[in-house]
Amino acid sequence: MTKTSLVVSFLLLLAPSAWAAGKHYEMRVDGLACPYCAYGIEKKFKAIKGVEKIDVDLDKGLVTVDTDDQTVFTDQQMKKFFKDSGFTFRHMKITPR
Amino acid sequence: MAHDPIFGIGPHVLYRGGVEIATEFDAEKAGKEQEQALSLEVTYGLTGDWAVGIDLPYRFLKQKGDRNEGVGDLKLFTKYRFWRRDRLGLQESAAVLFKVVTDTADGSGTPRLDKDATDAILGLTYGYESRRWYRWASIRYRFNGRNDQAVDRGDRVLLDFVGGYRPRLTGYREPDTVWLLELNGEYGKRASLHGADLPDTGGTEWFLSPGLFWTKRNFAVKAGVQIPIYSDLNGNQHGSDYRARVVLEWHL
Repeated sequence: MTKTSLVVSFLLLLAPSAWAAGKHYEMRVDGLACPYCAYGIEKKFKAIKGVEKIDVDLDKGLVTVDTDDQTVFTDQQMKKFFKDSGFTFRHMKITPR
Repeated sequence: MAHDPIFGIGPHVLYRGGVEIATEFDAEKAGKEQEQALSLEVTYGLTGDWAVGIDLPYRFLKQKGDRNEGVGDLKLFTKYRFWRRDRLGLQESAAVLFKVVTDTADGSGTPRLDKDATDAILGLTYGYESRRWYRWASIRYRFNGRNDQAVDRGDRVLLDFVGGYRPRLTGYREPDTVWLLELNGEYGKRASLHGADLPDTGGTEWFLSPGLFWTKRNFAVKAGVQIPIYSDLNGNQHGSDYRARVVLEWHL
């Protein structure tokens, strides 16, 4: 390997896209009163390719989902997703992991 | 179903595509009559607000020294949640329920397991579920069919008022306990034969029913006892001594 290709490889490693490890979704959901009832949310998210981690904070009404970079959720999709789960989606915040 | 009362009904349904499997054990005693039943119930969530299910019991009866056991009547039911209001950590909802109790029980032996008629139950229920407190109210009307001996078996009305309390606000992955106290009322019209009332049928009973709802993730245990507190049954009938129920339930 030449010196130039080594430098290019090093610079590529430093590029933000090379380090991107996915997205962190924080969703505000209303109607979450009990853990047993919220299980459907976890089950339905787990069935989606690219979803890596799910957690539910009942007291704050938060559903957090970690995904890979390719997985994209829109507000419209989440409205339907949570309606099918028996809850009401309010809004979400997306941050890189 | 799900986080509903043990003896009454509630507005809970299942998530779309969800499957609930429940095994239920019931025991009751009224004078010299005793019954136990073991049931398997499967429910499917058609949408986030609409569920359908099937319930198949196996019954053990004892009456004045005679014993019989066998498959009970198959039940088919559907529940539709027509109203829901969600807030942070709180869900209020209302649902209608329709159930058909078929006439498919084993017809052999004494005491009889079959009733020789098909019945239908129509229910309306409201539920308030918060992180700490629960309350439900429901009414059911049971249309009891005329049996093969031409007896009009007398319709029934069931009323339920239920309160629930979660002593510790647990996290999503922790075991969760809710204590319940139900007030269950039952009114039965007199049965009749060719228009003439049968004397030892129908009447009113009220029960106070403490219970427990314990869950861990997708598994639930429900248990409760119905204690009679008021009885006004027509003619010569034994009032209920007690009724008990244990349910094991999985969401798949």
